[in-house]
Amino acid sequence: METQRNRPSPSKFWSWFFPVGRQTGGWAYVLNRVTALGLTFYLYLHLIILSKLAQGPSAYDDFLAFIHNPVYTFGELLVVAAAFLHGFNGIRIVLTTFGVSVTRQKQLFYGLMFIAIIIILIFGIRMFTA
Amino acid sequence: MTTSQLVSSPKSGENVWLWLVKIITGPLLVILLGIHLVVNHFIGTRGLLTYADVVAYFKNPIIPVMEITLLATVVTHSLIGLRGIILDLKPSRTVLTVINWILAIIGIVSVSYGIWLALVIASKGA
Repeated sequence: METQRNRPSPSKFWSWFFPVGRQTGGWAYVLNRVTALGLTFYLYLHLIILSKLAQGPSAYDDFLAFIHNPVYTFGELLVVAAAFLHGFNGIRIVLTTFGVSVTRQKQLFYGLMFIAIIIILIFGIRMFTA
Repeated sequence: MTTSQLVSSPKSGENVWLWLVKIITGPLLVILLGIHLVVNHFIGTRGLLTYADVVAYFKNPIIPVMEITLLATVVTHSLIGLRGIILDLKPSRTVLTVINWILAIIGIVSVSYGIWLALVIASKGA
């Protein structure tokens, strides 16, 4: 039932973000999809921006100096967080696809998210204090 | 609820091989992207944060190979994933054919560009 209800269609687009009545599996699904879209957007932005490396040292270093402030650092931390949340949620998807922990998905999900959050905190501390 | 509803499987209209590639590139990305993020944020005092840092990092020939592998894997995973999301919007066969071509071109251009860029950076340190 839950899988059916959370399966999106154009008319149900906003229901992805509607929190009431959603179970853990539904939240995992929304998390996977929202981070997927964010990471895809960032990936191609990242590739375009890296062209500054081909323009030489001053172009690249000037750009890095420009983004070296708390606002952009927070943005970068969001990307790092999305990567680890998507990756660790993905580990659950791969494991269960191959028959591992299928009946204990909720525990697996919470455990993996806990590890992801610890890693994100370590990155956050490093990025804001280094 | 049956087990098949609880685990990942190809969507209707999704090629089983594409789905399998997405599933297999996932764990590979956890490793490659994990290394990429740790290197870029934890090496040295602040991570790889200058042009000189990046050029020095690319001096080891393993690094361009690893970064190009990461790029090809992440581009493949992202485009198959994006196609899966688009399939949920139930495109017509014609629209899907156009989307397939657009995604394939984005993939080929991105990876070619990335290989060129990695080689440019590697050549600066040579």
